[in-house]
Amino acid sequence: MDLLVGTKSCEFVHISPGEIHEDGLGTIIKDKSGDIIGYQSSVLDISDQKQAEEELRAYRDHLEKLVAARTAELDRRVAEVEQLNQGLTNLLDDLQAANRNLEETTGKLEAVNEELEAFAYSVSHDLRAPLRHIDSFAQLLLKRQAAQLEPTSARYLQNIAEATGKMGQLIDDLLALSRTGRVEMNLRPVAVDEIIEKAREELAPMLAGRRITWKIAPLPAVRADPGLLLVVWTNLLSNAVKYTAPQPQARIEIGATPPGDEGQVTFFIRDNGVGFDPLYAHKLFGAFQRLHREDEFEGTGIGLATVRRIIHRHGGRVWAEGESDRGATFYFTLREAEGE
Amino acid sequence: MEAKKILLAEDDPKDVELTLAALAEYNLANEVVVARDGAEVLDYLYRRAQFADRPAGHPVVVLLDLKMPKVDGLEVLRQVKSDPALKTIPIVVLTSSRQDQDIVESYDLGVNGYVVKPVAFDRFVEVVKRIGLFWVLTNEVPPGTIGC
Repeated sequence: MDLLVGTKSCEFVHISPGEIHEDGLGTIIKDKSGDIIGYQSSVLDISDQKQAEEELRAYRDHLEKLVAARTAELDRRVAEVEQLNQGLTNLLDDLQAANRNLEETTGKLEAVNEELEAFAYSVSHDLRAPLRHIDSFAQLLLKRQAAQLEPTSARYLQNIAEATGKMGQLIDDLLALSRTGRVEMNLRPVAVDEIIEKAREELAPMLAGRRITWKIAPLPAVRADPGLLLVVWTNLLSNAVKYTAPQPQARIEIGATPPGDEGQVTFFIRDNGVGFDPLYAHKLFGAFQRLHREDEFEGTGIGLATVRRIIHRHGGRVWAEGESDRGATFYFTLREAEGE
Repeated sequence: MEAKKILLAEDDPKDVELTLAALAEYNLANEVVVARDGAEVLDYLYRRAQFADRPAGHPVVVLLDLKMPKVDGLEVLRQVKSDPALKTIPIVVLTSSRQDQDIVESYDLGVNGYVVKPVAFDRFVEVVKRIGLFWVLTNEVPPGTIGC
């Protein structure tokens, strides 16, 4: 008997319960005349295979999604970096332009400084000679004519001599002020008590015959230029001595507060002198500013301006408190010396 | 008989007058020779030009102004202190300048003293007197240098 075999394969999916995939292979058996005489089928449960395929597909999809996400992320990051890069390049350009500006300005400042040096030299040398001549010939005239001059004329000559003396002092003070702005600072640990001792020695002529009670506390060492610091204390001390002159018993107190944050020490010098009107406190440190008349107290009005310039060059602050006839206190800050 | 001479190098006639007046107060003005610029100072010390016939002998001190025409004070100092025949002459700079650079350079060149002229007359007189008294009366010079 001849058998005709036709094969067909198909998938069957049972809907419930659970998904089961079956791969069926069916064979139709026919006899010679074409009548179907039988079937043969075999079914292979390919559920596991299907599940594996599903899982693989799911993993692949997931992976593709991850890759896409990561790629998008990377693209975003790259874009950010490029933007930052561009920003940095612009910043660099700006910095270089600013640097060139700075160099130009520094050059100009150096030129101005040189002019100031030349000016200061001219002042120190060229102005002094005629000043000396005025004073000298006035004095010589006074001597030669002393017998013949009437009191008023003699007084006129005396005024000339005094005025030139005042002018000489002014020149010296101005030069000192200008020097404090120009001279190179030599910062190092400085014992403040030694500086104050030196200042008192320098002021010895002023102190002769004065009754002054001194109260000087132990003082910390600071980081400063010793020469300039001496100028500060000499000026402050000389003011204290000068403005306590009317008091029967002058009292001058010097002390310091312990270093606060940032290592700044605050020094103070307090006197019981004539003080000043707080209304004009803002004028105290201006150049040529005086709060007392020349016939009350002599002075050029530069001392405190010099003090302020020096303290500012040291990065500190300076200020004052006072009342009329109730004395004055001057404060300033400096950095404490390290590693003492 | 030795005559102790002071050589005053000063270009400003007023300063010449004042310095002579100050020296005269202490009877030191008798033997002051005035040179009006650096060239005259050198001519005097080398005994040439208008000083060719002066008696031999160095001054006991040269009071030297720095700012002078033709040859200035520092140049005079340089030449004198580098010449073996003249370098023993005491030189005191007497100037208006208190500039550090002038002081440093003067000492580098071997100056014997550096004095800044005070502005106040009485102090100027005092300073000139002390300089004169010291170099003329107190200081000793090598034998034979100030005259025959």
